[in-house]
Amino acid sequence: MSALQSPARGRAGGFADWVGAAAQRRRAVTEAFVDTFASWGYEYLATPLVEPLETVAAGVGGGLQTQLFRFMDADGSLLALVGERTVSVARVVATQLQGSPSPLRLCYAGPVLFNRAPLGGRRREAMQAGCELIGHPGLAADAECIAVAAAALERAGIAGVQIDVGHADFVPSLLDSANLDAASRARVAAALHQRDLVAVEEALRGTEAGDAERELLLAFPTLRGGREILDTAGARITGPRPRRVLADLAELWTVLDRHGITASVHLDLGAVRDWDYYTGPTFELFSADLGWPLGTGGRYDRLLEAFGAGAPATGFVLHVDRCCDALLRGTGENGGASVLRLGYAPEQAREAVVVASRLRGAGLAVALDLEASVQRPGELLGDGRAHLDGGGLRWRLRDREGGGLDALLAACVEDAR
Amino acid sequence: MNGGLRIALPAGALFEDACRLLVAAGVAEIDPARLDRQLSLVTRLATVVKVRPTDVPVYVEMGACDAGIVGKDILWESPRDCYELVDLRFGACRLVLAAPEGSPLTRGSFPRSLRAATKYPVAARRYFDSVGLAVELIKLHGSVELAPAMGLADCVVDITATGRTLTANHLVEVAEAGRSTARLISNQASLKTRSGAVNQLAAALRRTVTDGEVSSGSPPSAGRGRSAP
Repeated sequence: MSALQSPARGRAGGFADWVGAAAQRRRAVTEAFVDTFASWGYEYLATPLVEPLETVAAGVGGGLQTQLFRFMDADGSLLALVGERTVSVARVVATQLQGSPSPLRLCYAGPVLFNRAPLGGRRREAMQAGCELIGHPGLAADAECIAVAAAALERAGIAGVQIDVGHADFVPSLLDSANLDAASRARVAAALHQRDLVAVEEALRGTEAGDAERELLLAFPTLRGGREILDTAGARITGPRPRRVLADLAELWTVLDRHGITASVHLDLGAVRDWDYYTGPTFELFSADLGWPLGTGGRYDRLLEAFGAGAPATGFVLHVDRCCDALLRGTGENGGASVLRLGYAPEQAREAVVVASRLRGAGLAVALDLEASVQRPGELLGDGRAHLDGGGLRWRLRDREGGGLDALLAACVEDAR
Repeated sequence: MNGGLRIALPAGALFEDACRLLVAAGVAEIDPARLDRQLSLVTRLATVVKVRPTDVPVYVEMGACDAGIVGKDILWESPRDCYELVDLRFGACRLVLAAPEGSPLTRGSFPRSLRAATKYPVAARRYFDSVGLAVELIKLHGSVELAPAMGLADCVVDITATGRTLTANHLVEVAEAGRSTARLISNQASLKTRSGAVNQLAAALRRTVTDGEVSSGSPPSAGRGRSAP
């Protein structure tokens, strides 16, 4: 008997294998994102999958902290698998990149993990790609991040993206100017965080909240629209802090307009995000084809302080797997990569290696048969197959592969002569 | 999307009232008997599907439906990333702590160690934590009222609309641990990408339940609450 146990044939729940067209799509989307980031001047960096628990805990999403895979290091300290990567980038900025010329433009792509119950339909491993723009406090930086995110989704072929732009301080400033006692304020804030508008209404009932603020807090999901919504809200608000937020968003809109993307931007005053983490403009990207945001971002001026190197920062993350889902639902297209399988007669074995190499040089994916074969004249080739013999190169492409490949192969044959 | 919004309705106690509400609000022409047979119905204004109550938040969170109607009691147990938009006021019921007649609990005396049987472990835990009681919870899937009689638990935390089931099983309400009514929930992306339609739905349902209360003095549901066996 072997001492080895036979391996399990199943997977851990909530994890996926990526095979065939799905794997190609996931890689292509990731590459489209990182290529876009690079073309905007964002430098790629790679950080570990494992970080000290307290480092990971400093990142976004208090609720996510209970969903981390944790384990113990040899010295007894606690480690976690990363649930997002911004905090790792911040750690690098505060240490190895300390003193670099400002602003820093950095980008990354990699998996993140969540130890949430399987079977809920939510994956426990997800691919994320994102950018961080560190060292600039102005709205130009926030606008650039929104523009990069939109450009990346466009390059990956995701059409009809809607960008919802909000501000982390709008709802808190409204709460502060609403004349609420501390307990009511906490109840309203908690209800907003839980997206429970029924509870918001209950918590506001019987409080001293001013009419304008109460009305705005209750109208929360409808506080969305174009530039004009800022004037609508501005007419009802008197507090200096919420008014400053509206002014910021007006300026941000102007910069976004310069980037030419306001057609797909909605201002969302009711956006509720992690207030302890975000400090300025925030945004979410949606596709009509998917029930989840494709990406999220915003300004987080406090995070680097936690690493002892305070600096203003803004950034975003794109959820690669959700983007793949949106692509698949949008087009229904499920095309795999085209690989030309090249066979050859025994006498052409040497020449076949040269032809394959030349075709690869021209950008074609070529798999060379491992054994020679004989094709009788007139015998039909299979789809995506080519064959080389004394009579030259013959090929048969798949229907969806156009004339471009035909021309390429013809040129290659011409070259070989 | 053709057929308008996709709306998930809960099978069971809330189903007929939910259908009536959608009809009264002019959202969709639904014949409950027909939806009973075919599970999904495409109308001019909406696509309506009928699923298990616990599955409503799943359909909505995952974006398979834009919106759904579900009891708050279901949301207690499986918190999901959905927006809770409107209290629809029908299907009212309460979560109560109940103990057998003669139990010290009914006299307000709580023993140090207590075992409670419930179908609602999350809400029960939250209640016991809020009143500072250390209780061992036993999760059951049905007939919770039986547990004290058979010595499985000292008390139960269960949903009641009329109290009849409790009485029939010689249980006495000790405290209220929560109140539930039907809620309109929506997918987080649908609220942004189909905001016009979702907000219209919310406004229409809100108007209908409010008007119903004004005109008749009670929510627009004849068979209010859950039917006790």
